[in-house]
Amino acid sequence: MSQLHVKKAAVLGAGVMGAQIAAHLANAGVPVVLFDLAAREGDKNGIVRKALDGLKKLDPAPLANRAVLKQIDAANYDEHLHLLAGCDLIIEAIAERMDWKNDLYAKIAPFLSSTAIIASNTSGLSINALAQGLPAAVRPRFCGIHFFNPPRYMRLVEIIGTETTDAATLDALETWLTSRLGKGVVRALDTPNFVANRIGVFSILAVMHHTQRFDLGFDTVDALTGPKIGRPKSSTYRTADVVGLDTLAHVVRTMQNTLPDDPWHSHFQAPTWLDQLIEKGALGQKTKGGIFRKVGKEIHVLDLGQQDYRPSAGEVSAEVAAILQEKNPAVRFAALRASQDPQARFLWAIFRDVFHYAAVQLESVADNARDLDFAMRWGFGWTQGPFETWQAAGWSEIAQGIAADIAAGLTMSAAPLPAWVLDGRDGVHTAAGSWSARRQVYVAPSTLPVYRRQLFPERVLGAGGVGPEQAGETLYENDGVRLWTMPAVDAGIGIISFKTKMHTIGSEVVSGLMAAISQAEASLAGLVIWHQAPFAVGANLAQVGEVVAKGDFALLETYVEAFQRTALAIKYAQVPVVAAVQGMALGGGCEFALHAARRVLALESYVGLVEVGVGLIPAGGGSKEFVLQAAAWAGRTATPNELMAFLQPVFMNIATAKVSKSAHEAVDYGFAQATDTILFHPDELLYVAIREARALAEAGYAPKPMARGIPVAGRAGIATLEMTLVNMRDGGMISAYDYQVARAAAVALCGGEIDAGSLVDEEWLLAVERRLFVGLLKNPETQARIKHTLETGKPLRN
Amino acid sequence: MNRQIQDAYIVAATRLPVAKRNGMFRNVRPDDMLAHAIRAVVAQVPGVDPALIGDVIVGCAIPEAEQGMNIARIGALLAGLPDTVPGITINRFCSSGLQAVADAANQIRLGLADVMIAAGTESMSAMSNIMGNKVMPNPALFSGDENLGIAYGMGLTAEKVAQEWSISRDEQDAFAEASHRKACAAIAAGHFKAEISPYAVCDHLPDLTSGEVRQRQRTPENDEGARADISVEKLGKLRPVFHAKGSVTAGNASQMSDGAGAVMLVSERILKEHNLTPLARFAGYAVGGVAPEIMGVGPIVAIPKVLAQVGIRQQDLDWIELNEAFAAQALAVIKHLDLDPARINPLGGAIALGHPLGATGAIRTATLLHGMRRSGGKYGLVSMCIGTGMGAAGIFERI
Repeated sequence: MSQLHVKKAAVLGAGVMGAQIAAHLANAGVPVVLFDLAAREGDKNGIVRKALDGLKKLDPAPLANRAVLKQIDAANYDEHLHLLAGCDLIIEAIAERMDWKNDLYAKIAPFLSSTAIIASNTSGLSINALAQGLPAAVRPRFCGIHFFNPPRYMRLVEIIGTETTDAATLDALETWLTSRLGKGVVRALDTPNFVANRIGVFSILAVMHHTQRFDLGFDTVDALTGPKIGRPKSSTYRTADVVGLDTLAHVVRTMQNTLPDDPWHSHFQAPTWLDQLIEKGALGQKTKGGIFRKVGKEIHVLDLGQQDYRPSAGEVSAEVAAILQEKNPAVRFAALRASQDPQARFLWAIFRDVFHYAAVQLESVADNARDLDFAMRWGFGWTQGPFETWQAAGWSEIAQGIAADIAAGLTMSAAPLPAWVLDGRDGVHTAAGSWSARRQVYVAPSTLPVYRRQLFPERVLGAGGVGPEQAGETLYENDGVRLWTMPAVDAGIGIISFKTKMHTIGSEVVSGLMAAISQAEASLAGLVIWHQAPFAVGANLAQVGEVVAKGDFALLETYVEAFQRTALAIKYAQVPVVAAVQGMALGGGCEFALHAARRVLALESYVGLVEVGVGLIPAGGGSKEFVLQAAAWAGRTATPNELMAFLQPVFMNIATAKVSKSAHEAVDYGFAQATDTILFHPDELLYVAIREARALAEAGYAPKPMARGIPVAGRAGIATLEMTLVNMRDGGMISAYDYQVARAAAVALCGGEIDAGSLVDEEWLLAVERRLFVGLLKNPETQARIKHTLETGKPLRN
Repeated sequence: MNRQIQDAYIVAATRLPVAKRNGMFRNVRPDDMLAHAIRAVVAQVPGVDPALIGDVIVGCAIPEAEQGMNIARIGALLAGLPDTVPGITINRFCSSGLQAVADAANQIRLGLADVMIAAGTESMSAMSNIMGNKVMPNPALFSGDENLGIAYGMGLTAEKVAQEWSISRDEQDAFAEASHRKACAAIAAGHFKAEISPYAVCDHLPDLTSGEVRQRQRTPENDEGARADISVEKLGKLRPVFHAKGSVTAGNASQMSDGAGAVMLVSERILKEHNLTPLARFAGYAVGGVAPEIMGVGPIVAIPKVLAQVGIRQQDLDWIELNEAFAAQALAVIKHLDLDPARINPLGGAIALGHPLGATGAIRTATLLHGMRRSGGKYGLVSMCIGTGMGAAGIFERI
């Protein structure tokens, strides 16, 4: 198999994972048949339909938008197995029972196409054993495909080949999963719990073990094991509550049953308190109580000493807080080890035991240390895997520390460190590759062609490589932007990258963009606006705030005009400008993207015109672009002056500062166009944007002339929108000032207080935006909103 | 007492079952519903030559799009009435159907006609927005506070009424629960059978597997909105819709609906010539105005006015059909006028049975007249509150 095309897929099992995997396939535009057992009563597809309904309610949303749900057909094993014949990829995600899976495989085998890939999403069963349940002819196309929950958002997919899996099939699947579904693929070995869960669940057990040893509260441990050490906000115990304490106990039991020879086997059991909670039915979030529970508005935590819940506090000691602030990992780890603070000793203990476990097990669970580290980053949301953390902290110092603790009987197991750990090395990651304990060599990253699309792929610490800030050839640079090229990819396409924090747009970015566009027009074929996420969180409010404080509104007007000119420069550049959007593209960021000739968006793009939050309206041409969209839309209908059906939802989006939860929604809201490209792997964004710019240039790109003769909704349209506002204000839903700001947004969208159907041009619309924007800035309420947001990062409702 | 040349008598009154918005009539056009109501009412008086009908007056609250183009005339022609019978569409929002009855009666009372059809039709399913397909308020409404109430949604006006007349959320929910309970009991007892003319719906649906057009025939006989599974507890869980801290919910407001109804009115001469037994004599009708932002209390003005016009007292009314646009406004009217709750909406109201705006007046007239024929009593009243601040009330005398 050279190239995999999945024209249609099937997912067997509409449980939490199956349904969400189906949703993500549908997000990627793959029609899916979602199977489950036939319901005994009523609609035979009832089980699947219920699961599909559930997808609409889940948060974070598994669906990129509601429309993708239409790509999923409900089916049951009694009536619809024949549909499997048309599926190129079949993912089995039923309950973790070997006998049930075998029965199902026997049932589906006669219906499979001769080329389909069949993969199991099992997290615990042996893939080789599962393969035995399939006919020999199917086995080369069978493998494990282990998604992480929630599958849309968790980057990791472990794929696990069997002794009989065809190597080319695995390559094709890895390629497809990477590019089409946007996943980070790790090839795992067929060992219990594979890579991420094996290490990750051990890490949870280690945290539990040392929580008790150091007599710390669960809330304290969560304060220690969250973002402060580069792990998710839900930390350890909160994560356990979210996952479900029964589920966690089940995974631990799997380890106990399947890993009898693991030197840490004695630790593969749930602590007594966990069993007691499960017995009481306190299973975590799903039962509204577990290790934590909500009492009114307070969060309470189980206190083992008191055998009862108490208000959650979870404070990190001053000493440990100071240690964790230290930037240099070697200094940080040395301080942790030296400290007598129980919190510090706890932290060292959990790091040490995970390092110890990962080192001993690397040989059996993963091909190399990079795979293991990526598995922890992508599957458990750690900012660094254990080996890169260890290496950054000083490989040999830490190794000696672990060895000393083993000798002192402090570690969870007395298993000796593998010899390679202590062979005098500096670490396991090098520029040439990462250490494979099985093969005793350094292994370079995959050379599959799909990875060539990732111009700046994610790298583990210690692997070296040049980041985008230093890469390529710089053509122009100021404090705000850098214009550069990647000659190896396309010397004729310039890349404009913002240099500001969170890529805010201030005067330095505005002037830089103008200069870069001029230079591009002189010497390049096209331009791409690209940098790592976020695309841009909006205009630089601090700069605006300073000028407002001085009361220099004339200067503000000039500033807004410069912003608008920049947007126009993007739109009317003589070379195509492609915006490569990922993460947040808010306010001015959204406006710049709107003006680009084309957009390439990562699936996870959160786009919106959110200016009302700070008492302002889109005035960088954002309102204007929607007026143009409305006119273009209405112009294709029998009633070219009927603009309100288009403008009403746009107005509500702006008035409520609505932000898209995906690229798909960005298109739905008009922040991007249906003809724009949506990519699932953010690391492919730059490659594709350069290709798009080149294609536009080669197709003889010329900007469209500036729009003229644009019909607007005028005073009648404003009144229509105002009707909604009156009801919201007098219905206590918005404040009097919200009304005023939203009305200004309405005026901008309706082209000013002129008669409906009046014909205007882009300059008129920009002037309307500008005047309204500066007018709002003069109001104390807007000034208070800006000040509050700058000080707290949160919006003020006044 | 007002002066008139002669009396007008209602000899037939019928209606279609009322459907929920986007419910069983979602593919049914308002002009087809109207034509059905007209055909049915004419058929109930077989002796009278349809050519004698002086005019067909049809109430419709949003006379645009499918309901536009003078739907009265279109409905009359679709019903098969002779070309010589004219039709006029009138709009007094929610009282359009009742206004049609009054206007038709007045044609007879003035001696201008001997036979009249009054009707109402409304498909809220056909309207993309419940305020019409294209809402375009006058910008002048927003230039000051004095006309702002015109821009208020009906729900917000109900909140204002609840506040001003101190109607609690609990009272509203209890009223709503009673509406459903009474409606369910009435349906179970078959009390609506006499007034309903079942309508045969034919859906034309795509069968994507076969590529054929699948026709589905149904003939609903009962109103769709009444719910037996409603309780005060369930209603209490609904969130207020129109005010952040309000009390008006989807549960204690009238349902949006599709429906149509028609009545035939005749002069005494026709009554005698054809030996007809009237359902009732049209006794009087009055409208009055209140501030737009408290439109729900319009009946407070209209009811005393019509009582004075007819020359009877409030306690002479045996049956009151008080349209339940919102529990809040209905309760405010009851409270303010000290109406006897036992005589109000004995078969439930718009909260359970639905409120197809311009049709409701004609529909509830049919309910009142058939109900009084069954249960006795002399005077009955139909009253509606009206958007932008009006109230209407009509009195019928059973003879």
